[in-house]
Amino acid sequence: MRETMRRRIATMLCMLAVGIMALAGSAMALPAEKYLHVNVEDPTNGGSVNVNVPLSMAEKILPAINNHDLHEGKVSIHNAEMNGVDVRALLDAVRTAPDNEFVTVKDKDSDVRVAKANGNIIVHVIDKKNKEQTVDVTVPLKVVDALFSTTKNDELDLAAALRALSDAGDVLLVTVQGSSQKVRVWVDSRNTQD
Amino acid sequence: MILLAKIALGMAGAGLASAGVLCSEGLVNVKVVEKKPQGVHIHVIAPAMLAPIAVHLAPGRALANAARQIQPNMQAIRAALDGLRDSDDVVLVEVKEPGEHVEVAKSGGSIVVDVDDADETVHVSAPIRAISSTVDQLADAGSNSLSQESTAPDQR
Repeated sequence: MRETMRRRIATMLCMLAVGIMALAGSAMALPAEKYLHVNVEDPTNGGSVNVNVPLSMAEKILPAINNHDLHEGKVSIHNAEMNGVDVRALLDAVRTAPDNEFVTVKDKDSDVRVAKANGNIIVHVIDKKNKEQTVDVTVPLKVVDALFSTTKNDELDLAAALRALSDAGDVLLVTVQGSSQKVRVWVDSRNTQD
Repeated sequence: MILLAKIALGMAGAGLASAGVLCSEGLVNVKVVEKKPQGVHIHVIAPAMLAPIAVHLAPGRALANAARQIQPNMQAIRAALDGLRDSDDVVLVEVKEPGEHVEVAKSGGSIVVDVDDADETVHVSAPIRAISSTVDQLADAGSNSLSQESTAPDQR
């Protein structure tokens, strides 16, 4: 009788342990929340603006906004703005190409460089007219692919791009370094900018 | 004597239960402190459940304008509130200027707004659930007043 009782207790304890391990496993498997951070600093007056947006929240809000060219998480772009360029074919070519510098423009007003490196599209601009303002944009190719994943040619899928951004690792998307202001946009798993 | 005690106990129980229900959606906390000498010092803590009830009881005509403005954006507002409710605590916006500091954060199921400038400090905290219910009530009030407006010419 006592032996049966012991067995029952042992079985229950085992089941409890398995349950706790399963719960812990599923909790560990949950992907960490990603945050889109925007930081604007103006050293001339000591001011700053920090914005931290959970990407999951942005993913929920974006499809709910239907305004002008933005609808169901997609933004319409007009053909005139594409200047007849087949962006999908261009992206396909870039995706299959090895890491390289694709465009380099140097003139008296600005330097522009477009390159592919480590699965990212990198754009570097130096605006010589505007007190040597520099702009660096890094976008993972997966995000660009998601952006152009709609079937329509004149649409960009912002919601899909956000999802891809959320799956991508920590990435510094934009830096603008001007004489008076510094802007940074990045994605990581921390809910603060410290 | 026992009867009186029972009545008192019943009333105390009912009071406690109603207080519990009123506070079930959390509390709205508003604090305004003017920095000038003998400035205004306001601190209000009220059950958040009162907000949707107040909107429900307010005359539809008084809310019609606000409701009309809020209705086209209801889908986005609901999505934002749902997203906020599910997200971890985070400082959403922080603006620092010389002599001024503004912070909007999600903290423990509430939206918290803190403003600190040369003239005053303001602290507002409201539970997201209560904001959600209030916005829903406001949209409902708007749709009711709009439907009344549309049927009014027929009655004339």
